[in-house]
Amino acid sequence: MILGLLLTVAFGGALLTYLLGKVSSKLRDWFAVLVSLALVALVVSLYGKTLSFPFYEGFLGMPLTLRVDGLSWLFAVSASAIGLLSVVFSLGYMKGKDRTSFYYSMLLLVNAAMLGVVLSGDLLALFVFWEIMSWSTFLLISYNGGPALTAGMKYFVMSFVGSLAMLAGVLTLHGSFGTLEFGGVAAGMSSASPGYVLAILVLFGVAFWTKNAIWPFHAWLPPAHSEAPSPFSAVLSGILIKMGVYGFLLLSFVLVGLKSFVSLGGGSVPFHTVLSVVGAITILLPTFIAIFQTDAKRLLAWSTVAQAGYIILGISFATSLSVAGGVLHFLSHAVFKALLFMVVGAVEYRTGGVRDLDSLGGLIKRMPVTFVVAVIGVCGLIGVPLTNGFVSKWLIYKTLILERSPFLAFAALFGTWGTILYGYKFLHNIFLGQLPQRYEDMERAPFSMVLPMTILSVVVVLFGVLPGIPLSVVDTIGVSFGFESLDVSLWGLASDSGALNTVNILVAVLVGFVVVWSVFRSGARGARVDQSDSYAAGAAVPTDRYQYSVRFYAPLRGMVAPYLKDLVDSFYVRLAGWVGGLGDGLRRVYTGYVGDYVMYIVLFLAALIFIQTTWSPW
Amino acid sequence: MRVLWFILSPLIALAVGLFFLGLSRRIMARIHWRYGPPLYQPLIDILRQFTQKSVSHGRLFDIGIVLSLAGSIVLIEFLPFGGVCPMSSSGGMLVILYVMLLMPLGVALSGGEAANPNTSIGISRNLILAMGYELPLLLVLLALMTRYETISIVEIVSAQREAGPAFVSFPLVLSGVAYLLILPAVLGVRPFEVVQAPQEIASGPVAEYGGPYLALVTIQHALSLFIGTSLFVNLLWGGASNPVVLILKMLVVFVLVLFVNASFPRLRVEQAVRYLWRWPSLAALAGLILVATIGR
Repeated sequence: MILGLLLTVAFGGALLTYLLGKVSSKLRDWFAVLVSLALVALVVSLYGKTLSFPFYEGFLGMPLTLRVDGLSWLFAVSASAIGLLSVVFSLGYMKGKDRTSFYYSMLLLVNAAMLGVVLSGDLLALFVFWEIMSWSTFLLISYNGGPALTAGMKYFVMSFVGSLAMLAGVLTLHGSFGTLEFGGVAAGMSSASPGYVLAILVLFGVAFWTKNAIWPFHAWLPPAHSEAPSPFSAVLSGILIKMGVYGFLLLSFVLVGLKSFVSLGGGSVPFHTVLSVVGAITILLPTFIAIFQTDAKRLLAWSTVAQAGYIILGISFATSLSVAGGVLHFLSHAVFKALLFMVVGAVEYRTGGVRDLDSLGGLIKRMPVTFVVAVIGVCGLIGVPLTNGFVSKWLIYKTLILERSPFLAFAALFGTWGTILYGYKFLHNIFLGQLPQRYEDMERAPFSMVLPMTILSVVVVLFGVLPGIPLSVVDTIGVSFGFESLDVSLWGLASDSGALNTVNILVAVLVGFVVVWSVFRSGARGARVDQSDSYAAGAAVPTDRYQYSVRFYAPLRGMVAPYLKDLVDSFYVRLAGWVGGLGDGLRRVYTGYVGDYVMYIVLFLAALIFIQTTWSPW
Repeated sequence: MRVLWFILSPLIALAVGLFFLGLSRRIMARIHWRYGPPLYQPLIDILRQFTQKSVSHGRLFDIGIVLSLAGSIVLIEFLPFGGVCPMSSSGGMLVILYVMLLMPLGVALSGGEAANPNTSIGISRNLILAMGYELPLLLVLLALMTRYETISIVEIVSAQREAGPAFVSFPLVLSGVAYLLILPAVLGVRPFEVVQAPQEIASGPVAEYGGPYLALVTIQHALSLFIGTSLFVNLLWGGASNPVVLILKMLVVFVLVLFVNASFPRLRVEQAVRYLWRWPSLAALAGLILVATIGR
């Protein structure tokens, strides 16, 4: 019942928001916030429950059901929370833009559709919500027009291919088992042949991996993430693409089942190992591409692809620790990546839409709070101890090393060093160095932006210091998949070979900091000087811009750039060109003139008559 | 007793690090046919710098450098110190790898606020160089962790106590060679002294530091010499059963590195990375493949 109410509020709220926008924009804004808040409250109230609710009887003779369990609750609560924060962030960001009613109602619609996807109890409902989600996402990505429209089209085409594959999968399953309800499908799959399971995994996988932007299905993501409005980029990167993760988890561990997922593909090269390798590639290549990006949002977008690689690597490695790490990394990434996109949004808002890393700088002096949350977000992204990213990555590394997969572990660890490079570049080029003159009178970010960013950064640290809070939820999910339970405590894990204790680390860092700080303060105080008062070893200091941020990693770039061509993307672009050429060729045949068509028919008949009279085959 | 070591180990590390700094100035001087300053010169410098005038570019400028030094101190608590390891059960090697990152990151944040292109160039070089030696280093560490089936550095040391130093044991010998080849880069001495490069970029990340800031940087430098050599001795030379032996072993390694420092001119950063990604990485990769295929 509460599930039905949830769905009504979500979809009804989206529609009503649009209508209210016709009356008053202020009323609409508050209503949008209220709806998202209500959704969070409703989802939170479902904690720990396992419910099922058929909300529509007899769609093509099948009931559509909603259900909630541990897995869908975790995704639902992250989706609704990120949705709420993004709506709040939008209040300032969208002020004064046109078509705001459309924007808000689409944002709520995407949110509603995501909740629908994760709360679906059968594959048909899942497919319907999946389509609503894909379409409304397309409308939001292309909201700004121009290059955003091209980016949106790219997303749409790739997403459409995924949807078709998923539809084929749904129809196949219905044909085989006569039901689309998860339990029924899972029962049927347990006795299916390995070839059949593989076909289903690939069909659904194409849809889920495209959404999650796993290499080689990642090509849509960088343009789409950078062109979408920033609050929506936060939703897109933080939670929407993670619907692919949800789908993948559902597919592998609920529908197919742990046993057949792990044993698929035989002894030497199991299917899930292939997927892990794909995950490792997805970590390495995009990380190196991200290092050399000059657009702040494009840098974050490539980083999203790379982090999705960690999630897939963890999940497809399929041990209790690695799956916990993968699922936890989904949550960590949702929090810190939403935060970082909001940071770029706030910078864009105050600088008049500038997100070029070569022309910003020194903003720490004008936006100190935004800088602090940005540092926390980047630390989470890198996985510095005491942030949430550390715990999830630690779990993944540890499994990979102890299960003797050092090369996968190498990909994951080396990817982290790449993350440091682009993470620092992001911070340095926006916030550090000299403040350009044109930003000297810039105001701080408004409260409606600072509030969601602060909440997210608190979560980054809280889940990093007390990882037991999210881990206990993740652990119940793992147990429901058939893994053994982890030894979770509030501050980490206890196990025989290398335990984790975040509280110890916290205390050590705090004590170390206090000691060093007091030693430092006991010395002579430094005189505060202006940014222009800098040391150039005797050379004259230029009076205008004196900053090193353009081509920040130039020496490295010269070495690795030749190997960093995105071959997959150029393949897609060539494919698109080829399809376009084919269309042109067809257009030459289908001229639209009736006379031409009559001629084709006559020619065809003449050919038939000629064949019949010459060889008489019929 | 363990509580005492929490306090003692950073202090001993500082003393050893400062001794190494003084020794390096002495040995370099003798190689140059000079006398050089007394061994305790770094200590005098630090005490003097604490009272000297300096400039500050803002709060992050202060916090960053303190954070960096705090990171080094925390890292020392994670290292086995001849039989004792104050924080042995808090995440092992993986945490060490990550805390090692706090050091450059703290300086990078602090130096970033200095708004001086020389510091930014230095930081950029620092991160690129770290990327350069991290590739072979990670391969070496993974070979060790795979070989001994643990992520705990204490267990790596105790495993070597039973089976002999990793450096001379069969499947790990290649990893040992690779680690030796990159050790000067890890310690940041010539030919890999690209980050500070006083003649080019006015000492890079530390260009804006003076007075107490410079004192903290010197302390940090001393500690990082300790950390770099101690990691090598613990991971590949079997550690030691008591602190004295450990420090003696570290001294041998450090003097070897000093000779490298005295013999080579500075590379450009891309030359350094090219070197690091070629022979040391190949050796480390071969070592890891060997360990992964041979098994126990």
